[in-house]
Amino acid sequence: MAADGSIDWLCLPDLDSGSVFGAILDPQRGGAFRLEPIEPFSAERRYLEDSNLLETTYRTSRGTVRVTDAMPLPLSGLAPTRELVRSIEGLSGEVAIRWSVEPRFGYGQGRTHIGRRLGVPVADAGPEAMAVLSFEAGEPQGSADAIEGQFTAQPGVQALLALSMAHGDPLVFSPRSAIERRTAETLDYWRRWSRERSYEGPWREAVVRSALALKLLIHAPSGAIAAAATTSLPEELGGVRNWDYRYSWIRDSSATLDALLSLGCPSEGEAFFWWLLHASQLTHPQVNVLYRLDGRAGLPESELDLSGYQGSRPVRIGNAAAPQRQLDVYGHLLQTAWLFVEAGGVLSADTSSRLASTADLVCSIWSDEDSGIWEVRGLTRHFTQSKMMCWVALERACRLAADGHIPAKNASHWLAQATAIRRFLSDWCRSSERDSYMRFPGASETDAGILLPTLIGYGAGEERERLLSTVRNIRAELGSGLHLHRYRGEDGLPGQEGAFLACSFWLVDALGRLGEIEEASELMEGLLAHSNDVGLYSEEIDPASGAFLGNFPQGLVHLALINAAVTLQGESH
Amino acid sequence: MVSLPAALAGGFIGTLVLTTGLRAATELRLTRIDLPFLLGTVFTADRTRARAAGYALHFLFGLLFASAYYLIFAALDQASWWLGSLLGVAHALFAATALVSVLLPLVHPRMGTQFSAADSAPLLEPPGFMLLNYGASTPIAMLVTHVVYGAIVGAAAAA
Repeated sequence: MAADGSIDWLCLPDLDSGSVFGAILDPQRGGAFRLEPIEPFSAERRYLEDSNLLETTYRTSRGTVRVTDAMPLPLSGLAPTRELVRSIEGLSGEVAIRWSVEPRFGYGQGRTHIGRRLGVPVADAGPEAMAVLSFEAGEPQGSADAIEGQFTAQPGVQALLALSMAHGDPLVFSPRSAIERRTAETLDYWRRWSRERSYEGPWREAVVRSALALKLLIHAPSGAIAAAATTSLPEELGGVRNWDYRYSWIRDSSATLDALLSLGCPSEGEAFFWWLLHASQLTHPQVNVLYRLDGRAGLPESELDLSGYQGSRPVRIGNAAAPQRQLDVYGHLLQTAWLFVEAGGVLSADTSSRLASTADLVCSIWSDEDSGIWEVRGLTRHFTQSKMMCWVALERACRLAADGHIPAKNASHWLAQATAIRRFLSDWCRSSERDSYMRFPGASETDAGILLPTLIGYGAGEERERLLSTVRNIRAELGSGLHLHRYRGEDGLPGQEGAFLACSFWLVDALGRLGEIEEASELMEGLLAHSNDVGLYSEEIDPASGAFLGNFPQGLVHLALINAAVTLQGESH
Repeated sequence: MVSLPAALAGGFIGTLVLTTGLRAATELRLTRIDLPFLLGTVFTADRTRARAAGYALHFLFGLLFASAYYLIFAALDQASWWLGSLLGVAHALFAATALVSVLLPLVHPRMGTQFSAADSAPLLEPPGFMLLNYGASTPIAMLVTHVVYGAIVGAAAAA
């Protein structure tokens, strides 16, 4: 949703489906739901406290109007498959409002037909359809490519616009009372859910906002969490670093379960864990880098004929990184299993056996080159971060076996291989000159991804000084003000990118775990001031201008924020 | 010799194929028709329960239509897949022009008509003439799946 109140991105029926509003990627062809005062205005936004309902206040020379946007949950009665509600309330004066719904199903690549059913304007294309229900918002006028209207907002009059959306089934035309009831129930639901979150530290508002954002990234039927809600928002304006992040990455799994359990979300954590096991079963013993939200593995990448965000082309859907070999995913899978059983979860016999064979696989492949956590295309190396995560995989497998959660037949082999990985890292991946782990053996640069295994427990205790020195080297080499770049070296793509926001929160977390609480807290405060106006973060930031880059909102950043806040709360105590 | 039990067995299998075929047509982006959902929402506003009840009801209707097919086969003293297919064409036309598009909205408590208003309870989008409200390819999807249903019932009844 743009700052002026235009809804420029909406996919139907799920996050990874085709868009019906895609103006963010092509203002001409993408489609949007615009709603704004006719005369010049200023707009201010906020979330209703502890909820995912967004309130925008428009101020004009003639008066003030408040718009509340909600996507109601189908908590009771016969509700549409998906629903979007915009309530418009005049606060003072008289403000002329115009609105326009320009649906473009399937990323605007096909033809959308606009007609009427029972007098209600309806747009449809194939299995998708959308009805525009308006109450005191002017008489809707349908044209060949839009449904639009105008009305005057004034105190005492509440207008309502609702998009009732269907996918593969008939539309539902709800009465106003049912729409308002669902909206009120949804607000109650979010507030109840927010109140149940267990974090009580100094950054509660940011933590709860992050949790609410993550909740919206969860694909409810499966429990999977999308990395972000968008595709192809560029990591460099006008550049080619435009990727589709509407899928679930295995590398986010341990941070996800950690955050969900820390915040007291056991049901979401359990659903996510079982989704992870279900998805990875399809490719067992290999683990793919990412999966679709429904757990399927196939994600062929293609390009859309759209102009791109501010001309940043290509616009991609699907993700070619899916079949890459990234060894760190095994560490995340075993770490997630460890967190699950630590929280009281019980593994089935089949799952136990699969996790044991995953550990066996790690023993045979850890010494291979891979594409690394940053999904470098066309370039494989012995990435330090990948080896560290392989160590995490085997160390957690040993712990799971020792506690009887998985078969212990090969545990001595896992332990021997974990020791060998540790030796390889110490002998080849460190620079004694800089007293730091580097990106890969022989590299002259380091890698902010190395922070991640540190957070999970690599070298805990015995390597404290070595890790602290690496953390300091990462900040010195990759830092840009408060922010961190992922790496500075070659990645096989033209152009540059911004600082990677998750890395900045990982740095906070790492400093906290290494006992540098004051420095970590100071950095945390600084980073929290760099969210957008409603507390959300994108994947990257331009350190010079503070402008967001990359897909939005980025789940990994919000996970890192939550985990950093929880770490600092624990360490402070 | 025409067999009623065989026709009923064919009706069961034919309904399975018909329902799956319409679902496949939705996945192929051809239509938004969802017969189990339409039937089930007669009894409940809960989407999940509606689909479950609708599937059961659709199979019951499948058996009732197979009985009607049997009566026609018996009257003609012959049954075959092609005769079943012809009945399937008539069946599809009846469903698209009268049964689903006209009669269902009249008896469905949650479906809109020209004489209803969504002022108290949610209303489902009516199918419209030839079910075209659910997509331009809906009549074709209905015709193809009902012809297959008829062919299966005809072939089974003749076996």
